[in-house]
Amino acid sequence: MKPVPAAPRRRRKRLDLTPWLFLAPAIMFFLVYVVVPIGQSISISFLEWDGLGEKKWIGLQNYQDLLKDEAFYVSLKNNLIWLVLYLLAIPAGLFLALFLNQTVTGMRLYKSLFFFPFVISNVVVGLIFSWFYTPDFGLMPKIIGFFTGEEIAVLANESLATYGIVAAGLWPQIAYCMILYLTGLNSINPELVEAARLDDAKGFKMLWYVILPQLRPATFIALVVTVIGALRSFDLVAIMTVGGPWGSSRVLSYFMFEQSLSEYGTSMGYGAAIAVVLFAIMLVFITMFIVRMIIQERTA
Amino acid sequence: MAKVKLSGIRKSFGQSEVIKGIDLEIPAGSFCAFVGPSGCGKSTLLRMIAGLEDITHGSLEIGGQEMIDVAPAKRGVAMVFQSYALYPHMTVAENVTFGLRMANHPKRDTEQRCLEAARMLKLEELLDRKPSQLSGGQRQRVAIGRAIVRNPDVFLFDEPLSNLDAALRVEMRAEITRLHAKLDATMLYVTHDQVEAMTMADMIVVLDKGMIEQVGSPLGLYHEPNTLFVARFIGSPRMNTFSVNLCDAGDGNVSCMLPGGSSIQLDGSSLRTGKATFGIRPEHLDVVADGHLQGKAVLCERLGSETMLHVDIGLADPITVKADGLTNVTEGDAVGLKLNPKACHLFGPDDRRVRSGSLQ
Amino acid sequence: MFPTPIERTQPRTRFAYKVFLPIALILWLLPLLGVALTSVKPAADLDSGNYFGAPSRIAIENYWLVFKNSNIGYYFWNSIKVTVPSVLVSIGLSLLAGFALATYSFRSNLIIFFMIVAGNYVPYQILAIPVRDLPININLYDTTLGLALTHIAFQTGFCTLFMRNFIKALPNALIESARVEGVSEWRIFCYIVVPLVRPAIAALSVLIFTFVWNEYFWATIMSQSVDVRPVTAGINELSGEWKARWELISAASILTAAPPVLMFFLMQKHFIAGLALGATKG
Repeated sequence: MKPVPAAPRRRRKRLDLTPWLFLAPAIMFFLVYVVVPIGQSISISFLEWDGLGEKKWIGLQNYQDLLKDEAFYVSLKNNLIWLVLYLLAIPAGLFLALFLNQTVTGMRLYKSLFFFPFVISNVVVGLIFSWFYTPDFGLMPKIIGFFTGEEIAVLANESLATYGIVAAGLWPQIAYCMILYLTGLNSINPELVEAARLDDAKGFKMLWYVILPQLRPATFIALVVTVIGALRSFDLVAIMTVGGPWGSSRVLSYFMFEQSLSEYGTSMGYGAAIAVVLFAIMLVFITMFIVRMIIQERTA
Repeated sequence: MAKVKLSGIRKSFGQSEVIKGIDLEIPAGSFCAFVGPSGCGKSTLLRMIAGLEDITHGSLEIGGQEMIDVAPAKRGVAMVFQSYALYPHMTVAENVTFGLRMANHPKRDTEQRCLEAARMLKLEELLDRKPSQLSGGQRQRVAIGRAIVRNPDVFLFDEPLSNLDAALRVEMRAEITRLHAKLDATMLYVTHDQVEAMTMADMIVVLDKGMIEQVGSPLGLYHEPNTLFVARFIGSPRMNTFSVNLCDAGDGNVSCMLPGGSSIQLDGSSLRTGKATFGIRPEHLDVVADGHLQGKAVLCERLGSETMLHVDIGLADPITVKADGLTNVTEGDAVGLKLNPKACHLFGPDDRRVRSGSLQ
Repeated sequence: MFPTPIERTQPRTRFAYKVFLPIALILWLLPLLGVALTSVKPAADLDSGNYFGAPSRIAIENYWLVFKNSNIGYYFWNSIKVTVPSVLVSIGLSLLAGFALATYSFRSNLIIFFMIVAGNYVPYQILAIPVRDLPININLYDTTLGLALTHIAFQTGFCTLFMRNFIKALPNALIESARVEGVSEWRIFCYIVVPLVRPAIAALSVLIFTFVWNEYFWATIMSQSVDVRPVTAGINELSGEWKARWELISAASILTAAPPVLMFFLMQKHFIAGLALGATKG
């Protein structure tokens, strides 16, 4: 092959600058509200600072204190409980979606009503469940009482409070996963299902070998939003128990809020250190998810 | 009307080079078809001419002007996309005139051109419809209309008929040919369908793996393919090919050892001895009682006007024979095949032609 | 369709399904129904221990009392003042950014895109201290604008992700064809992309409205005064004040939930399509 003389090639500048003009406003916001604050928070975590006065560099002191703080371990344990139990939303959502994936008259309305909890603010969900759990007024103690003969105030019980809150959180989360699976089920090629029927696949085998592989995108999204949602949980704890009783239902996000952002919280450095730990934990998951998305994007 | 000249054109996507040095001159006013199997780089080449893909290396001239650094819109080209690329939210008229309106072209002339194009393409009744209300053929015509109103020097077609059904494709083929005659513009046409290329183009460029295999007129490619690839790509059903041994028969002749033991003497081969690939088109084989080749008919496709016989002559694949529509050969019959020496092609070990069977 | 359509099953199964469906729904919404019921009970019912029975009469006045006894009217108005501009601006910004990320291939395209995706999943606590200080420094703390800017910043990330995917799914030939015709990039954006992404805009509007309206964390830490506090932060405060007046708390809860619910029912198709498409709310 004979060498080709290199023609002079100038790049077309017009197309090179345009995307940045379109991106500029969004990127500005992103830098100011996300990228820079992350850096700032990390640096605050090395300070002793009440938010107003003098900033004092104390190195890793906040982290060392954290390791000695029992509240930190309680929060960490509760975050783990959240994470594990929250994952139940995925199979539960799938189950509901399968239950509702029918074309009976009025089905659309049923689906919407089942989806309802997701549309409602967490604040309202928290209040609803607070009522649900309240002794005397609420339904839950009555139900428990009916079975055990003893009415239990779930949210006032140190060992049950977190589970009570997680249950409240599962309610909208299951609805969310359900809708993801419903749309996923909708987009499965019906011919594929028919072909599998001709191959005599049915029931659970059909679900496992044919349907679930087709639902993988939905499952992935459900997994992402559930894991992230579990670790970010804040609203329900703040509303239902304010971390109590005696701090037993704290999670990292709420612990941080207590330390730095609430009315009495003035330990910015300590709070920032908690936030950094939470961020580090979530970063593991975020990285896993992003890597998987990048692989998908590349192969698409 | 403008000449298009490509010199040393190359294109890489990251590590892989998809266009590997193309030199080509397309005379003004010609209808030039790029054909090749999928992935041969024909669409990429067209998109590079349009300016939608950067050219990694080389030079591109349209009408004698270097175009490498010129924006797509300023190249004097108009493109018709495979998917038609009609804007779904605009009516036919709006679609056709969109480019002119965006360029603030005088309103009167815009309307004028739109009506003219509509008349030419029989779209007058449809100007107020949305693309979703049109049939495939109508959409195709709108896409062509959108190209016409721009009065381009060069029309670029990217597999424009591949989304149409067979009957409509034949109709549109004729229509585009007619348009070419009327508009007197240079047209570059990408297709994977060699029939389309043969019927419409006056110049065909066969591409494979990012390189030009051969440039020529439709009949030139059919009768004198330079390579085995072109020989098998042009013509339908495709040319039968099998390997043979050659030995020098003196007087400028070679003798080919055919499968089944018989041999045929051919003149004019530049290769005299050794292995070669023998090629003969299905239409140049005659069914006789006792021919050069003996075999058994394994499949008879009766098309009415002709019958395609698939004859097993002991090779891995049966060879195809185009026989008379009324032939009484049936499956399982023993068949003898006679070769027309003037129609026998030979290709050397590098797959390049050593003898053409141009019937001359 | 999977599972087997119920019309094709045995009559007995079909009957069981039709009976069980409403029961399941009632069980599913039991907490909500309980609250709705409580919200229309006269206070006397609760005082006399009628917690679960039918209300002795429908006490619509609870809703009126909520407005009269609290600042919830202000809170509602504050929520609207924050939500509407947040929706408009974040969608506008994301249209621009999504267009850039979907149609141009420049070297850092994917990096920026995945940075934005990742930013979407970050816990708010790692941002909270600096982000709360930001408006303090420019005198926007405890203002509607300060809160709205925060929402815009976080929702724009999600919207951009959504828009980018939506625009990417449009046939590329539409944009290329316009480029060959010499249409400027800005006009391609205005005349081709924006009209074609209308469904995405509709879907995002409902979604973002719901997200911003329902948001609680930023609402509490970025607002204090009665003229700024959105309803989510406000109602939680009220529930503390009203302690055991469950009929009032319930009524206020229903009121707070109403706008997104209404929005959802009005634009249900867009809402669900939106979730399916973007589907990455954190």
